Amino acid sequence: MTTTEAAAAVATQRERAPRPRKRMISAGARATMILTYVILGLLALIYIYPFLISVGSSFKTDADATQNPLNLLPETWSFAAYERLFTTVPLLQWTANSALITIIVTACRVFFDSLAGYALSRLKWRGQTIVFAGLIAVMAVPNVVLLIPRFLILKQLGLYDSFAGMIIPIIIDAAGIFIMKQFFESIPVSVEEAARIDGAGVFRTYWSIVLPMARPALITLFILSFQGSWNEFSHFLISRQSADLNTLTTGVASLTSGQLGSGNQYPLQLAAAVLMSIPVAVIFFVFQKRILSTSEGGEKG
Amino acid sequence: MSKGIRGPEGRYGWLFVAPAILIIGVFLVLPILLALYVSLSNWNGLGSPLGNSGFVGGENYSKVLLESGLAQRDFGTAIRNNLYYVLLVVPLQTALSLFLAVQVNRRLLKGRGFFRTAFYFPSVTSSIAITTIFIFLFTSSGAVNQVIGWFGINGPNWFATPTGIFSPLTGGVPGDGPLGLDWAAWLSGPSVAMCVLIILAVFTTSGTFMLLFLAALQNVGEEIEDAASVDGAGAFRTFFSVTLPMLKPTLFTVLTLGLIGTWQVFDQIYLTGGGDPGKTTLTPAFLAYDTSFYNLKWGQGAAIAFILFGIIVALTLLQRWVLRDRDLGASGVRRQKRALARLMRDAAAGAKR
Amino acid sequence: MRARTWGAALLTVGVVAGLGACASGGGDSSGGSELSILIGTSGDAETAAVQAAADAWAADNDATVEVVVASDLTQQLSQGFAGGDAPDLFYMSWDQFATYASNGYLDPYAADLPNAGDFYPALTDTFTYDGTFTCAPKDFSTLGLIINTDLWAAAGLTDADIPTDWDSLEAAATKLTTADTVGLSFGLEYARLGVFMNQAGGQLVDGDTVTADSPENLEGLQYVQKLHDAGVLKWPSEIDAGWGGEALGAGKAAMVIEGPWIKGIQGDFPDTNYASYELPAGPGGQSTFTFTNCWGIPADSDTADAATSLVEYLTADEQQLAFGDAFGVLPSTESAAATYAEQHPENASFVAGNDYAVSPVNFAGSATVISDFNAQLANLAGGDAKAILESLQSSLQEALDEANGN
Repeated sequence: MTTTEAAAAVATQRERAPRPRKRMISAGARATMILTYVILGLLALIYIYPFLISVGSSFKTDADATQNPLNLLPETWSFAAYERLFTTVPLLQWTANSALITIIVTACRVFFDSLAGYALSRLKWRGQTIVFAGLIAVMAVPNVVLLIPRFLILKQLGLYDSFAGMIIPIIIDAAGIFIMKQFFESIPVSVEEAARIDGAGVFRTYWSIVLPMARPALITLFILSFQGSWNEFSHFLISRQSADLNTLTTGVASLTSGQLGSGNQYPLQLAAAVLMSIPVAVIFFVFQKRILSTSEGGEKG
Repeated sequence: MSKGIRGPEGRYGWLFVAPAILIIGVFLVLPILLALYVSLSNWNGLGSPLGNSGFVGGENYSKVLLESGLAQRDFGTAIRNNLYYVLLVVPLQTALSLFLAVQVNRRLLKGRGFFRTAFYFPSVTSSIAITTIFIFLFTSSGAVNQVIGWFGINGPNWFATPTGIFSPLTGGVPGDGPLGLDWAAWLSGPSVAMCVLIILAVFTTSGTFMLLFLAALQNVGEEIEDAASVDGAGAFRTFFSVTLPMLKPTLFTVLTLGLIGTWQVFDQIYLTGGGDPGKTTLTPAFLAYDTSFYNLKWGQGAAIAFILFGIIVALTLLQRWVLRDRDLGASGVRRQKRALARLMRDAAAGAKR
Repeated sequence: MRARTWGAALLTVGVVAGLGACASGGGDSSGGSELSILIGTSGDAETAAVQAAADAWAADNDATVEVVVASDLTQQLSQGFAGGDAPDLFYMSWDQFATYASNGYLDPYAADLPNAGDFYPALTDTFTYDGTFTCAPKDFSTLGLIINTDLWAAAGLTDADIPTDWDSLEAAATKLTTADTVGLSFGLEYARLGVFMNQAGGQLVDGDTVTADSPENLEGLQYVQKLHDAGVLKWPSEIDAGWGGEALGAGKAAMVIEGPWIKGIQGDFPDTNYASYELPAGPGGQSTFTFTNCWGIPADSDTADAATSLVEYLTADEQQLAFGDAFGVLPSTESAAATYAEQHPENASFVAGNDYAVSPVNFAGSATVISDFNAQLANLAGGDAKAILESLQSSLQEALDEANGN
């Protein structure tokens, strides 16, 4: 997760729903509306069509995909690409690796980030400000700069080319802590004080009282972490080299960047791209309302 | 009294942040320090850098920045490519996402949810998947060229054309520019292949920023727009004079995030051949990786990574400074509220006439 | 309350420690040797052949061998070395060899091999660093002119028209160029254009001096430009092909410049008939490139003895001929190559080429310069060949000076 997502989530966590109003529509306004629909429709088509083409092309033969790239439907339906994907290409192993890593990283991030966020926002302890300042500084470090350094440290610690090396460096991210901290600060203190007076300990207060109230932020964190770790590429590139540690991202990258040999094998590559996007798409559609109302997302730039 | 209840907080506070401090310390701070050392050394990649290398001071940095030669030229090329990428992607994605947000936000629009989903969906998928799809779409006989063909234009061989798009105009400019490239090279613009990556970036990030603008627009509220339009302001006037100023903070966020993100582009470069064609899609991030992992010049690669870090930090600070004056302080907010109140009074008065 | 806190903390520590324990350790190689071989494969045929050979040796030598196919050999090798976990035996390509040798990565075992003298001199030279013959060449390939025999006949050409010099090459390409097919195609890179520079009598390096910016090299590049301007030569990317072989197989080009690996197109293009010939001579004579890989063993490796024994087995004439049959590479020893040429007349021209072939330039650090050269060649069509050579001259001289420790 990057600073983008933190800022986005924080900036929009509280939004007012627009209040609908009825108005009379003039002819001029109607014409503008129609124009708007046309433009937006066209744009939406441009945004969606690549994915539709990919799905359609994955069922085409190699030659058909090369010669008729725009057609959504194949001339002759062919499952050859999918067959290859599940036999010669170890797609299932890649998926298993990705799933394992994503589950662990997401769970750890949700747990540790909220823990640290709570400590920074609600608890009083010495050194709090310094740690928070350090957090902000850390968020300023761009991911890309860390590629070589992380490789060196992993090598130094002997964690290179192992699941531990792929997972541990990313189980906590500063942006997530920041999101949780901002959210905790919006929860009224009175609830906690009440619990504390009732005799609950610090961890109990956190776990049973405050955390359930933070559900919106936790869901946000969950979605961001899931997406971030499922789509992570550069870290997996530098932290491993064995073929059996390939995740979906590094595996599909090896397919696209030429491991296939000669010939245009687009259906295979497209099928892989489509399949690897399904889990994040599912999470997206399930949590759509929440995502689209709190406006966070991944940074691709 | 409060101390009694909050007594053990000190211990718990540290305990709760301990994992975070540990992980971030070991896997972020420590690596930076180690890489800093490597960038000042002549480590050759064998064994641990701490034992088997010699300190050479700023030699790696001067090789990349100051001494004329291939290393400096490659770095200059990478900076030039990334510069054009930034200069094109950031305004385009900001403008497009703002446009989309404004359109999707309109009250009278049916199917808002559908449009929002459509525009945001590309942001959810992995850069690897999208790049794979784009490679398919932009082959010389691919979907994009077929569509352009309907308009009678012969599309270029997108990924294989290294000529910069401005080079017909600027090809004759004489003289040598900074970092070992001559001015004609600096001014040649992004290559056709780079343009595909620019389109890709705008495609995948406009959805995210659209959501940011949407949230901000909904905070702006409708009464203001109503007031302005009753007052006689047309749609454009309302937008530029009323809505846009109120979006300044979000605009600022979007620009900052865009700047930070575009200077880090790596995945797409890796997947499309690492600089092909003709090193016109080479970027500093990939150059650092390539120099270290392929050419085994770890010190130089680390130096490039740190220079990139410096660029990003400098740009972010610069942008904060440039836009800080116009950020709404407390007095600015009051001023704006008064202006809005005045606007609404006028609207009410106007409606009575 | 407190127990739960500490319980959670312990759980955390336990998870982290458990993951740490999963870290794969370095390869242990003691006792009955376990060897890992890292290869970059041209296809299933090669992988299977290498595995079979390795298993045969392992059975006789109380060892186990694992063949690992790299998706990116260079990157995986560099990461392996940096991670302290290099494979016991690996393909070492000609262009990376000098860099690895100069960094002290390689064990110089080859000079002590019993069959060290059997290899082609050109190949031994390629893999000699600082006067020491370092690693054993595993095979070689040269470039030849591959002609689509059906298109050749359809254009009314006969054996007498087979190009033997630049003019006849141009004539043949012109005759073969039609609306759908271009007469000649090859990749726009040093690994192909370099042969024309050499055929004009030029070379890139002469001892300690770089001679890239010479009239002969310029002549070579200008000849290529002339063919391209006339429309009888197109790069594979211009005709929607990934490489020359694909252009040939799909019928988009009638002649291509490739090596014996062209055999691999028969899987995708079974109906294309072709024949291979030696490259035509230029004003400076005949010249072609030889590409070769060697078997690399890491320096200070525990398994060096076992690996050396495996290399001896793999470079024996018999085994090399088996590889040649399986995936079309040419044996690296002169004796085996001669036998191979007899058994496989379709590749005889490639073998013959090795008598006058040279290796593309390959000293430590030259790879970066060559990839820059390739990047600049992207602008060759309609561009300034002299400027490209001048840039190559300065960069290559700088790299050569650095390699020589100046």
